[in-house]
Amino acid sequence: MQAAKQRSWNTRLEAKQKRLEKMKGITSNRIIPTRQIVEALETLIMPGDRVVLEGNNQKQASFLSAALAQADPKKLFDLHMIMSSISRPEHLDVFEYGIASKVDFSYAGPQSLRMAQMLEDGKLTMGEIHTYVELYGRLFIDLIPSVALVAADKADSEGNLYTGPNTEETPTLVEAAGFSSGIVIAQVNELTDELPRVDIPGSWIDFVVVADKPYQLEPLFTRDPRHITDIQILQAMMVIRGIYEKHGVKSLNHGIGYNTAAIELLLPTYGESLGLKGKICRHWALNPHPTLIPAIESGWVESVHCFGGEVGMEKYVAARRDVFFTGHDGSLRSNRTLCQLAGQYAVDLFVGSSLQIDEAGNSSTVTRGRLAGFGGAPNMGHDPGGRRHSSQAWLDMMTDTDPLARGRKLVVQVAETFQNGNKPVFVESLDAVGAKADIGLETAPVMIYGQDVTHIVTEEGIAYLYKTDSMEERRQAIAAIAGVTPIGLKHDVRATEKLRREGLIALPEDLGIRRTDAKRSLLAAKNVEELVEWSDRLYEPPAKFRSW
Amino acid sequence: MKLAFVFPGQGSQKNGMLHSLPDHPAVLEVLQEAREVMGGNVFTLDTDKALKSTVSVQLSLLIASVAVSKAFKAEGVMPDFAAGHSAGAFGAAVMCGAVDFTDALEIVKLRGELMEQAFPSGYGMGVITGFDARTVNEIAAAISSEEYPVYPSNINAADQVTISGSIPGIKKVLDQAGQRGARTAELLNVSVPSHCPLLKSVGDSLYDKLASVNVRVPAIPYAGNRTARLLRDSEQIREDLAFNVSHPVRWYEISSLLCEHGTRLLIEMPPGNVLTTLNKRTLPGARSVSVDENGLDNCLFLAKKFCS
Repeated sequence: MQAAKQRSWNTRLEAKQKRLEKMKGITSNRIIPTRQIVEALETLIMPGDRVVLEGNNQKQASFLSAALAQADPKKLFDLHMIMSSISRPEHLDVFEYGIASKVDFSYAGPQSLRMAQMLEDGKLTMGEIHTYVELYGRLFIDLIPSVALVAADKADSEGNLYTGPNTEETPTLVEAAGFSSGIVIAQVNELTDELPRVDIPGSWIDFVVVADKPYQLEPLFTRDPRHITDIQILQAMMVIRGIYEKHGVKSLNHGIGYNTAAIELLLPTYGESLGLKGKICRHWALNPHPTLIPAIESGWVESVHCFGGEVGMEKYVAARRDVFFTGHDGSLRSNRTLCQLAGQYAVDLFVGSSLQIDEAGNSSTVTRGRLAGFGGAPNMGHDPGGRRHSSQAWLDMMTDTDPLARGRKLVVQVAETFQNGNKPVFVESLDAVGAKADIGLETAPVMIYGQDVTHIVTEEGIAYLYKTDSMEERRQAIAAIAGVTPIGLKHDVRATEKLRREGLIALPEDLGIRRTDAKRSLLAAKNVEELVEWSDRLYEPPAKFRSW
Repeated sequence: MKLAFVFPGQGSQKNGMLHSLPDHPAVLEVLQEAREVMGGNVFTLDTDKALKSTVSVQLSLLIASVAVSKAFKAEGVMPDFAAGHSAGAFGAAVMCGAVDFTDALEIVKLRGELMEQAFPSGYGMGVITGFDARTVNEIAAAISSEEYPVYPSNINAADQVTISGSIPGIKKVLDQAGQRGARTAELLNVSVPSHCPLLKSVGDSLYDKLASVNVRVPAIPYAGNRTARLLRDSEQIREDLAFNVSHPVRWYEISSLLCEHGTRLLIEMPPGNVLTTLNKRTLPGARSVSVDENGLDNCLFLAKKFCS
C-alpha cells in the first residue's frame, strides 16, 4: 500500500512542465518568436519522443517540418514520427539527418520512391502502414503523441486557432496530444486580435508560432474537365445507369479520378435526361470538387461533408451554406476524421479507380520499388461490418433469404482494361504481392480487397460481383469485362452469354447505352472556365488551372 | 523548390555540337582548357566522321555540357543537384565539384577507348518502349545464352528500357518484345554493349585509373547512376564513375528521386533534349527544359526567377 502511494501518477504532466519551464528563456507567453523556432523545438521535444506532424495530402505544417529538419541531431534524435502523409522532402530528411528513426504513417505517395529506398538502406525503421482512420485511432491507444506539430490560418494571443476551410485533421492531432499531457505547437499564417471563428480552443494549445510563409496547401482534388475522355464518359454513363439508378444510390463518396469527375459532370445532363434528379446522389462525403458545381447548381446535391477544403472553392462554398458545412463566419468547416468515418459508415457507395485488379477482384495501386501506403480509400472502400442502419441501396445488395441476412455497402472499382503505356490493369498476380516480398511487409499492400468489391466497371461493361455465389463465377464475371488483358482472354464466350442473361454482367447495350453517344458534348462543363461560369464566378481556380 | 542540372549521355551527340555552343566567356574558357589538356583542336571532335568514334562522342558530350554548366555558374546559378546519364555522369561530377574538368577529360577519353576496344563488332544495344523493366528482364533472361548474351540495361522511363549484348541476342529480344505487344522495339546505332556485365573489365580498368584521381566531397549531391541514390560521399562517386559503364543506368528512378527531393526545375545541359523529353513524361509536376531547345538566356532567366 505504502509503495503504491509513492508512485507519481502525473509523470507525463511533470515531464511537460519541466519542458515548459525551460521555454522561459525563449518566450514568456504562448508565442514563439519565428526565428527561434528551431531552438524551441530542441527545447520542447526530447530524444525518443513520439511526434505527430500534421501533413496530410492537402495541408502541410511546412514551417514546422522544415524547422524540425534543421534541429541539431546531437540534441534531437531517435524521434518516432507519426504522419498521416509523408509528402515533403524534409519529412524524410529528418531520418537522413539522424533526427528521427521510426515512422508510422498512412500515405507516402509524393515520397514513395525515397521511402522504399530508405527502408532498403536501413535509414528508417517502419512501424506500420495504416489507413487514415486507423492511424488517427492509434493516436488515442498505443501511439499517443508526446508532441503535436500542426498548422492553422490564424491565432489570437490566447492560442485559439482559426483553420478556415482547411480544418482537416488538426483537431484530431491536437486532441491526442493536448489531452494526454503532450505538447501542442501550432504554426499560423498570422496572429490577430479577433478570429473569424474558433476552430480549436486555445486551452488545447501550448504554443503558437507565426510561420515565415503560409502553410503549403495543394489543390489536389481539382480535375480539369478538358482531360476527360470519351471512354471515361461511357464508363460514367454505365455507372449512373447500371449502378446509381439500378440500386437507388443516394449517399456516396467519389475518388479523385477523371472517371468520377465525369460522373459528376454527367448528372445535370445525362442524369437529368433519365429523370434521376432527387432519386440518386443526394448526400456526399466529398471534398469540394469543382466538378460537382454544375450538379449543385442544378439542384441535385442536398449535402456535402468534406475531408478538407479545395483551393479556389472558398467563396463558392461560403455562398452555398445549405449544401456545405460552414462556420459562423460562413467558411467551410472540414474534418478529415469525421468525414472518413462518415464515408465508412454513413454512405451507401464508394467508387474509386485502380491500377491493377486480379482475377478475384483484389485491387492495388502499388508500383514495384515504391512504397505509397493507403490514405483513406480503404476506409471507405469496404463493407463496414458494424453498419446497422438500412437504405434502399444497402438492402439491394442482399442476395439470400437467410433470416439474418443484411445489406451491404456498394464498393465500385472503375478501370479501363489497359493503363497508359500498354500495361494491362487485369493481371494474374498483383504487384502488391511482389512488393510485400521486396519490402518485407507482413501483408501484401492491397488497397481494396476483392471480397469487399460489389461492382467492377470497365469500358466493356459492368460485373455485378455481389451477385456471384462462387469464386469461379466471380472470376468469370471479371474475365468477361476484362477486355484483351491476360485475364480477359481467359473468358469463355458461352459463359459470358450466360452471365449476361443472368444479370451478372451488363454490357452498355444491356443498359440502353449506345457507345457512340458517349461524347464530351454530354459534359455539363467542358473546361475550368465553364465551371467558373456555373459557379456564378464564385469559384476562383488556382493559376495552374487557368487557361484563359 | 529546387533546381537540378542534368547531363546527357551517348545518343545525344550531333554534328557541330561544339561549334554551336552558346556565346559566353565561360564557354570559351572551357573550350580553351580542353584544348590545352588534349593538346589539339577540340573543334575536330564533333564532325560526323569523328563522331563515329565513341571516344570523340564522349569527349564532346563532356566538353559541351561542362562548358555550359560553367556559364550558369558564372551567372550565379548553382543547382541543388547534378545528375548525368552514363557518360553524362562525368559532367555531373565536374559540376558538383567532385572531379576536376581536366581529370574528367582524361578518364572519359580512356573510358571511350576501353569501350571501343572491348567489343569491336557483333555487339550493340536496343531499346524497347511499352514495357517496364521487369517485363524486359523476363524476356532477356529467357533468351540470353552463353553464345549470344543479352541483358536488360538502362531504365530510362517507366516504359522505356534498353537492352545490351550480342546482336543476335538483341534481335531475338526485340522480336519477342514486338510479338508481346511492345510499342516499339528497335536496334540502336551503337556498337558497344554498354551498361551490362559484358563491360565488367572496362569498369575495373576505369576504377584502377580513378584510384589515382582526386575525387572530392561534392558541393551538391550527385545522383548515382547504378544505385539511383543521391551521393555525398567521394568514394561512392568514384565507384559510380567507374562502374556505371557495366551497370544499368536507373534514370527513371533518378529523375523521380530528384523530384521527391523537391526539384521543380530541371535544366538539361547540351547537347540535345533527350533527358528533357524523358523527364517531361516521368515528372509532370516539374518543369523540364534544355539549353539546346530553349536557349541559354531563357534557361538562365528561368533559373534565376525560380531560385529567387
